[in-house]
Amino acid sequence: MGTKRRRRGDGGMEENTMAILDTSCFSKSTQHVADDRLSFLEAVRSGFLVPENASAPTNKMYKAIFQILKVENSLDLIMSSYQLLLELDKRFPQVSLSVAEKSESSSPSSPQRNELVVVEEAWSPFSFGPDVSSCEKQDLDKVGGSLDAIAFHLLIGDLAKVAEEANTKTLDSKPLRNMLLFQYLVNVLEGDFVPRNLAFSESFDWIYVRESLLNMILVSRKIAYKGLIQDCLSAIFELSQFSMDCSHDVRSPETKLEEVTGKRHTAFALALPEIVKCTCVAVQKLLLMIIELDSSKKAADMEGQTTRADGALDKPRLKLDMIVQYLLKYIPKTSVRTRRSNGSTNDSTFGGVLKCFSNGNSTKSIVKKISTEVAQLLLAQAFQAYISLPSQHSTEYKEDIAGNSLPEICNSMISAFTCLKKTNESKKL
Amino acid sequence: MEEDPFDFESDVLLATSPIVAPNRRRKVIGLDDLLVDHYKEKNRVIERKSKLAKIKKTYNSDDEEDGRVAKLSKYMTQLSDEDDVSIWGLKVFGNKKSPPSFVFSNLPSCFLFRSFMGHGVNSLIELSTESGEMFFEGLLTNGWLLKLVYKCGEVEKPIATWTFHLMLYSSKEVLRTAAVNFWCAILLPKNEDELLFLKIDWLPSFSELKGALETYGFLLHSPLEDSSDAEMILGDSECTESTQNIVAWIKFVAACSQARKTHFIFSTSEAEELVVVIICLLLDRQLLGLSVDLNECMLSLVNFFTDDEWSSSCAKVAKSVALRVPYDINSLRAVDCIQAVCGHTKHLRSAIAFQILLGYFDKVEDEEDVIRQLTLINLKDKSCDLFKIYIYLVLTENWFLYNPTLKDKPLLNEMWGLYLRNCSCQINITDTRSYASKVRSKASYLLQGATDKS
Repeated sequence: MGTKRRRRGDGGMEENTMAILDTSCFSKSTQHVADDRLSFLEAVRSGFLVPENASAPTNKMYKAIFQILKVENSLDLIMSSYQLLLELDKRFPQVSLSVAEKSESSSPSSPQRNELVVVEEAWSPFSFGPDVSSCEKQDLDKVGGSLDAIAFHLLIGDLAKVAEEANTKTLDSKPLRNMLLFQYLVNVLEGDFVPRNLAFSESFDWIYVRESLLNMILVSRKIAYKGLIQDCLSAIFELSQFSMDCSHDVRSPETKLEEVTGKRHTAFALALPEIVKCTCVAVQKLLLMIIELDSSKKAADMEGQTTRADGALDKPRLKLDMIVQYLLKYIPKTSVRTRRSNGSTNDSTFGGVLKCFSNGNSTKSIVKKISTEVAQLLLAQAFQAYISLPSQHSTEYKEDIAGNSLPEICNSMISAFTCLKKTNESKKL
Repeated sequence: MEEDPFDFESDVLLATSPIVAPNRRRKVIGLDDLLVDHYKEKNRVIERKSKLAKIKKTYNSDDEEDGRVAKLSKYMTQLSDEDDVSIWGLKVFGNKKSPPSFVFSNLPSCFLFRSFMGHGVNSLIELSTESGEMFFEGLLTNGWLLKLVYKCGEVEKPIATWTFHLMLYSSKEVLRTAAVNFWCAILLPKNEDELLFLKIDWLPSFSELKGALETYGFLLHSPLEDSSDAEMILGDSECTESTQNIVAWIKFVAACSQARKTHFIFSTSEAEELVVVIICLLLDRQLLGLSVDLNECMLSLVNFFTDDEWSSSCAKVAKSVALRVPYDINSLRAVDCIQAVCGHTKHLRSAIAFQILLGYFDKVEDEEDVIRQLTLINLKDKSCDLFKIYIYLVLTENWFLYNPTLKDKPLLNEMWGLYLRNCSCQINITDTRSYASKVRSKASYLLQGATDKS
């Protein structure tokens, strides 16, 4: 693993830019403070993003920007700090892959490997320091350091409450800020995990992934892995439900509004659906990364015995596999052969599941356990995933996992639905 | 209020003093100590003076304390005059209009619909012309419609117009989102094969995009008002409702500009107009939460132009923005809102800053003239409006910072340096005019940056 020391921006630049924030300590008006903070963000932008060959901002500055995102109430500041952090990460990635220069001694036939470059001592919004007692942590939280695993878990928990808050309370900046903060953090996790996982898939060196931020959060003893996943799922459920329902029924508070608050409210309400949607995408991203991490872990466990044809799993394939597995649980025992062996039997394919549905009796017993609507929904989702399987993998690949050709699947799909409908009707009678 | 007023002074000086420059490189922390010592010394001198002044009274430490507090509170009240910092924000939306009507009845005429009706599966879904809209809405929101058009290789006109209408005028969030995703996917397919095979029978024109804006109440031609004058509270929720579709509009415009290579939707002059629209939208605080989307759209739009086209288009956009923006704090926002992340946006930011700067002066045509005017301003004159000076300062900063060609013009740079020195030195630390400290610290900061580079 290559490491790189970041060329430090000279102290003067830091001193000067940070000074913009310092002046705020004596001016009492919040507007002044906000104004100074905006100037600070703008100064970082012009000082570090505009020049072609600028060095990255210092950790102190990163921290100050992150602090603004974490605690500010003004939408203007939240948005600017969020965007600035994203742009900085894009410009100065902390982990990256570089094509290793060919050393003259190595044989020319050996494939070119990417080398993982990690910036040393870079600032990170996450901290995994030694355990601090909870009260100390509280203090740290207030001063606005990096987040630890618990704080991250709490943040995910808060996301699930966004919908409720938005519907009952006066809309303020907190839910928006939390969602943007979360999106930024997922972005950081992604920027860190993706190149590491790629490096792992080439070299099978587990250390790359083990040191990833995501892994460090998940293995942290401070949080329960299962709880985190559950909270992710409930957050994604609440949020997508919210974005389905909310169109324009976010009411402005009844109290007589001051002009500025009124405007702010409109701004929040206008931005909310969009930000909620993006947050959903971010939670999905997080879950997917966790799944990939898991599969990498599995691969690492079997190191040396398995080779995986292509690095990452396809999303539709994952979805299909998950649904098939779920449905299999409900398919009557008679149709499922003992599946002790690791190799999948014919029934554990999508085609096999569909066949069960075309049989009136087994359909009835499935519907007893899960409702018709759920069964239909699952089948539809599975079918969609099935046909979105990348075409470059050729039909052979599809048949490999599904055991049937496309027209066959379509026909069984239709008969499955007909069967479901019949069962439903007979149930009504 | 308990703070020592002299600490306060030293803080300001510490933060802004240009004296920092020569020693800085040696050791930063050491310098801090040096400065602190320096100002302590200074404080001592002042204290001694104040003691001298009180020498006739009996010395009492409380007295001195009171004196300081009094002095400080006087200072604070003077400062608080400065507190009404102008806040940017324009009202870019007026009264909304009723959306154009749309008849769904065209849809059943398309091949896709008829093939559904004809197929045996219809016994299952029981599709009819009446229930068709619901069914198609389902197809759209669940992503099936997209799969079907890819499969057919064609987006038929009834489907294109229907989804376009939903996208821009539907009041249902689900449909809006699904329609935008549908359009973005057909305009910018993820893999190349689909791009070659997909035929889109109908594309919206620029006038339809503009029409949508007018429906939302966008004040396209009237001069923009400061939002503080307008009664914003009026119909607050109503306003939200009407403009929710703007998100879809913004995303669609971004997708159209990215699809220039394959689909002709607007011309370069129309794209120029759209850039101006986006800048106007960025001036409205109501849309602040959408700045991520607005910035993405802006980026797509400016990269719609080739480098050759951009040099003339950028100037046109800048002139048009300078004409529309009111000459107050909003003129700074018009510059700040452009995130200069690529060559085109940098160019635009610099050009707009310059055009607005030109607009502040009469009969000034070229670059040298503008800067000369700036250096001639007497900042010590009590009637001098420091708020204006601040605006000039920020505009000029942007004009220089984002235009690399200006580096090769020594005369301009020299005059800019002179102006900066004027701003940082001619305004006294105790100046109580509003924006005095802002101008002074901004100028010192920029001077510092300039000395760092040289």
